[in-house]
Amino acid sequence: MSLFDLSPTANPPPNPPAPSPAVVTVQRLEKSFAKREVLRALDWSVPAGRVIGLLGRNGAGKTTLLRCLLGLSPIDSGEISLFGAPMTEPGGERMHRIGFVPQTFDLFPWMKVRAYLDFTAAFYARWNTSLADRLLGDWQLDPKQKIGQLSQGQRQKLAIVRAIAPEPDLLVLDEPVASLDPQARRAFMAELLELMRGPDKTVIFSTHITADLERAEADIALLRDGRIQFTRPLAELRARLRRVVFTRESGWPQAPVVAGLLKATVKDARAELLVEDPVQPSLEALAVREGATVQVETPTLEDLFVELA
Amino acid sequence: MRAVWQLSLLLWRQMAVLVVLAGAIWLVGVALLVASLREGAHLAGMGLNAMAFGSWFWHLGQGQMLRGLCRPESLLLPRFRARLAGAGALDLVLWIALPATMAALAGMPHVLLAASGLMLATALGLASGTGKRVSLVIWIGFIAIGWKPRLAARVGEIALQSPWTPVLLTLAAVLVFRLALQPLLRIEDVEPGTSPLESTGMGRVQSRAMEGRPARGAIGKRIQGWFDGMAQRAMERALMAYRRHPGARQRMTLIRSLLLPHDNPEAIALRLVLVAAIVGIYFFAILHRPHYNAAVIGAYAVLLSLTRFPQLGRGMLRMRPNLADLYLTLAPETRADYQRTLVHALLLLVPVTVLSALAYTALGIVLAHATEPGRMLVTAAIVGAAASLVALAVHLIGPEGSFGRGLVNIVVVLGAMGSYWGGYVLLGLLGVALGGALLALVAISFGLGVWFAAQREYQRRAPCFDPPPA
Repeated sequence: MSLFDLSPTANPPPNPPAPSPAVVTVQRLEKSFAKREVLRALDWSVPAGRVIGLLGRNGAGKTTLLRCLLGLSPIDSGEISLFGAPMTEPGGERMHRIGFVPQTFDLFPWMKVRAYLDFTAAFYARWNTSLADRLLGDWQLDPKQKIGQLSQGQRQKLAIVRAIAPEPDLLVLDEPVASLDPQARRAFMAELLELMRGPDKTVIFSTHITADLERAEADIALLRDGRIQFTRPLAELRARLRRVVFTRESGWPQAPVVAGLLKATVKDARAELLVEDPVQPSLEALAVREGATVQVETPTLEDLFVELA
Repeated sequence: MRAVWQLSLLLWRQMAVLVVLAGAIWLVGVALLVASLREGAHLAGMGLNAMAFGSWFWHLGQGQMLRGLCRPESLLLPRFRARLAGAGALDLVLWIALPATMAALAGMPHVLLAASGLMLATALGLASGTGKRVSLVIWIGFIAIGWKPRLAARVGEIALQSPWTPVLLTLAAVLVFRLALQPLLRIEDVEPGTSPLESTGMGRVQSRAMEGRPARGAIGKRIQGWFDGMAQRAMERALMAYRRHPGARQRMTLIRSLLLPHDNPEAIALRLVLVAAIVGIYFFAILHRPHYNAAVIGAYAVLLSLTRFPQLGRGMLRMRPNLADLYLTLAPETRADYQRTLVHALLLLVPVTVLSALAYTALGIVLAHATEPGRMLVTAAIVGAAASLVALAVHLIGPEGSFGRGLVNIVVVLGAMGSYWGGYVLLGLLGVALGGALLALVAISFGLGVWFAAQREYQRRAPCFDPPPA
C-alpha cells in the first residue's frame, strides 16, 4: 500500500504506530473563514518526543491549524485534544507545558524586553532564567529596549526566548525562522534541538525552509487541500522516494506509467516522475520498450515539497 | 501572587502619567476619608466623590491597557484569567472596599449606596477604556435629567431612601463589567486591520489605542462594511476615469482615493448622516435645558470637523513604510515632486472639513432653533477653512512624538474654537457682511500663511519611509 495517497478525495493514510502516547490528537477538524474552507475533516496525531515539520504552500492553512491546536482560533467542528484532554480553549495546568511562537509578534510594543520577560515569567511554574539571559546575550537583544523598537527579526527572537524559557513539553512554532538571518536561524535550530532533546519533548513547527527540517531530522507532515496528507520521518521519505527521469529525443505525448507513481511532469524530451519504492529492473525494461534512457535520482526535501505540496 | 503583581504593574508601565494623576486623586480621597474619621462625615462624602472620579479615570486607563493585553496569545499564559481576576480584586479593594469602609467608620450615611455608586463609576470607566458603547448608558441618565428634571430629582430622593438602590446599582455595575470584559476574554479570529488613514470615526474621542482596529460589534461591522464598499467603488471609478483620460487631475483623484479611502462623496455623506444621528441624540439630551449658546454649538461643530486631523497625523506616521510603494509607483522626477503630490492630495481635507463644519452647524441650528443661522454658518465656514489649513499644516510638519502631537492638537482645536467664538462676536458687532469680510481677511490670511509655509517646508524635506518609533 502506498504511503502517499495524494488524491484530494482520498482518505488520509493511517499514521505509523506511535511509539508513545499522542500529545496532540485531531479528529475531523473543520475550519472556515467566511465561506472559504481552510481545514476539511482533518485528522492528525502527533506522538510525544518527535520534532514535526509542518509543510504546506502559502494559504494551505498551517497557521490556522497551529492556532486551532492551541485553542487560539475557534473551530467549526471536530475535536482536538492536547495532552489527553479536550482543547476547547486555552486553560488548565497544561498551559505550563506549552510554548508558542506566533508568526508575527506584535504584543506590548510599549514594554521593555526585560519587563516583558519578567511579566511572562511570573505566570510559569518553571522558568529557566539563566537560559533566557544567555539567549538574550547570544542573540544581542537589549533588555532595556522597547519591544516596539525591535526589528521584526529581533521580535521573533524574543518570542522564541519567551516560548522556550518555561522549558515546555510541547513547543509550537509558526514559521519561527522566517525573519531570522542565517546565523540566527542556525543558532536557533541548534538551541531548539538541544533543548528539546529530553524525553517526551515535542516540537511542531511550520516552515518553508526545508534545510532546517533536514538539519533537525524532523518528521514531515504535509498539509494540502485542508488535510494532513501524511506524517512521515524524513529518513523514510528519503529512503522510499526517488525521482525517475526518462529522456527520449522524440518527446512524450504523455508520461509513462510506473508502479508507485506519485506525480509526473513532462517537458520536451524529459519525463520526470516522482516514484515511491521504484523497482530498478522494471524501470530499465520500460526505458528499453519506450526507446528512452532512464536516470534515478534522490530528490532533496525541497524537491519533494515542490512536487507534493 | 507574582503574576497578579505583574498584571497590576502593567498600567504603570504603559501609562505612568495617568497612574500618577489617578494615584494623586486616590491619595486626596484617602486623606479626606482619614480626616473625616475625626472631623465628621461631610469630608467622607467629598473623599468618596474624589474616589469616584479617580476610579473612573484609573479604570479608563485599565480598560485601554486590557485592550492590548487580552489577545488570544495572552490566554496561553497559565491561569491567565484567574490571575487577571486576582488583579481586578486587588483593584476593587483599593478603589471601592477601602474607601467605603473608611466612610462607614466615619459614620457617613448611605455608605452602601456610595459604595455601589463607586462600583458603577469604576465599571463605566473600564467600559469606556475598552471602547465599549455600554459606557454611553450614562447618557440615558443625563437625557432623563434634562427631559424631566423635577421627576428626576424626585426619583433621586426616593432612590436615596430605597434599600434596593445599592442592589440595583451593583447589578448594573456587574452587567457593565460583564459587557466590557467578556468580549476581551473571548477567543475570536483576528480580523484584518484597517488602513491608518481610513476615517469612519464619528466621535471626537478616537484614541490611538483604537486606531487600525476593526470594529467588533455587529453595527460597527455593518458600518465598516458600508464605508469599505464605498471606498472600493470610489477607487474603481477613479481607475476607470484614469484609464479613459490619463491626465493629472484623474491621477490626483486616484491617489486621493488610495490615501483617503473614506473621503469620497458617498462616504462623506454617510459620515454626516451618522454624525447627525449621534448629534441628534446628544441634542435630545440637552434640548430641554432653558439656555443654550449659539457660539458653543458652532465651536463644537468646528471641533467635530477638526477631529480628522490628529488621526491623519498619526496615520501618516504609521503609513510611512507603505508609502514607499506609492513613491515607487509614482516614480517622481524629484523627491520634492513626490512631496508636492502628497500635499496636493491631502489638501482635499480642507473643503471636506469646511463642508463638515457647515453641515454640523446647520444641524445645530435646526436642532436648537438658532435665531441667527446666517451668522453662525458664515463664521463656521471662515473659521473651518482657516482652522483646517492650520491643522493640516501642523500635522504635516509637526512633532512626531505623541506628547508633542497631542499638545499641538489641543492648541489648534482650542484656537479654532476660540476663533469661532471671537468671529461670532465680531459678526454680531459689525454685521455679517463687514464682520465676515474682516474675519475672513484675518483668519484666512493666517491659515493660508501657515499652510504655505508648512507645505514649502514639507516639500523641502526628504520623504521618510522609516517606521515610526514605538
